[in-house]
Amino acid sequence: MPTLTPDIVPGLIATGASARLDEDVAPKFSIGDAVEMKNINPVTHTRLPRYVRGKKGIVERDHGVFAFPDTGAHGLGHKAQHVYSVKFSFRELWGEDHAENMYLYIDMFDDYMRPAP
Amino acid sequence: MNGIHDLGGMDGLGPINPTKDEPRFKDDWERRMFGLFVSCFAGGHYNVDEFRHAIERMGPAHYLETSYYEHWLASLETLLTEKGVITQEELDARKKHIAMEDA
Amino acid sequence: MPHDHPHPHNKPLSDVELRVKALESILTEKELIDPEAIDLIVETYETKIGPRNGARVVAKAWSDPAYKERLLSDTTAAISELGFSGVQGEDMVVVENTEDVHNIVVCTLCSCYPWPTLGLPPVWYKAAPYRAKVVKDPRGVLDEFGVSLPEETEIRVWDSNAELRYLVLPKRPDGTDGMSEEQLAEIVTRDAMIGTDVLAAH
Repeated sequence: MPTLTPDIVPGLIATGASARLDEDVAPKFSIGDAVEMKNINPVTHTRLPRYVRGKKGIVERDHGVFAFPDTGAHGLGHKAQHVYSVKFSFRELWGEDHAENMYLYIDMFDDYMRPAP
Repeated sequence: MNGIHDLGGMDGLGPINPTKDEPRFKDDWERRMFGLFVSCFAGGHYNVDEFRHAIERMGPAHYLETSYYEHWLASLETLLTEKGVITQEELDARKKHIAMEDA
Repeated sequence: MPHDHPHPHNKPLSDVELRVKALESILTEKELIDPEAIDLIVETYETKIGPRNGARVVAKAWSDPAYKERLLSDTTAAISELGFSGVQGEDMVVVENTEDVHNIVVCTLCSCYPWPTLGLPPVWYKAAPYRAKVVKDPRGVLDEFGVSLPEETEIRVWDSNAELRYLVLPKRPDGTDGMSEEQLAEIVTRDAMIGTDVLAAH
């Protein structure tokens, strides 16, 4: 790629570089699905934080198809897949002594989830 | 990786010390670092996932003790040397040279 | 005459300063970067891109119901209408605070933040204490910001760990009915658009 020169800067800043991919990939989950985050512990890059691993939530929104960071960080390609906003109760994440009207939403890739048992 | 960056839910990290407003950069080296990150990204030397992972690979104590733009510096040094864009020897020699000129 | 004002040449460059200078100098020599491009990037983020942009989005959403509908349903395009787009705002989500619901945004794994609308993130947003605590004890975090919400208010914390970027649409404060869009933009704080502030009645 060319060296970034001042003439390119305004266009670059105004456009950015979306990780959204124009690929026709079927979603594995639908809005309203009960899902469980996989308990994975790769020593490589992942955007699945420890505090939601093994936890159960509900798919709230399908954001569309994006590049998968776990492969992208290691030169292993885009592995295009859907990203969803998944809702968890604080009670599920942190225990029954938490208030019931508190929720955590996090963006999860298809590969991070399985149907809740 | 189960690194220090994965902070959600950890206790005992101290007060948040909120500010209402603050300068965008607190030092000139932060300005240069910010621009270096954008320039090298635009130049195609790494993607954002590689960039984040190189920050995650910092030593945990170093990660917690250093500021955001120092994380960026560590990441760029790691990635650009790993990819052969520059060498550690070049960086060390140039540092020494600049320090001598500054004295 | 004493020379007691802070002056860069009075103290030797720190290790970090030396490392950044070395990096920039080698990359410039190799023609992989252009220092003038760095000057322009810095100038842009210091003078053109900041939370006043987001405040204009919020003020328009409060003033124009059709715009608010577009903002919530086709967010990135609606924000672009006002000229705010690009790096770290490529795919935006707006979450709305109401009488019953309060939203707070964080990035627990790094420091993801909607640059075109809020500018570069404050130090506390990027630092460990906020990132660690807000997903487990958001009311405790709000307390550190001097904000207290009724127990019946539902709290939603958004961890922006993927490539979506989040902006909170604060609840329009009471007593602002007669205000113009420009006046409304003036009262919107950066923290209200992160979710760590609640705008006071006027």
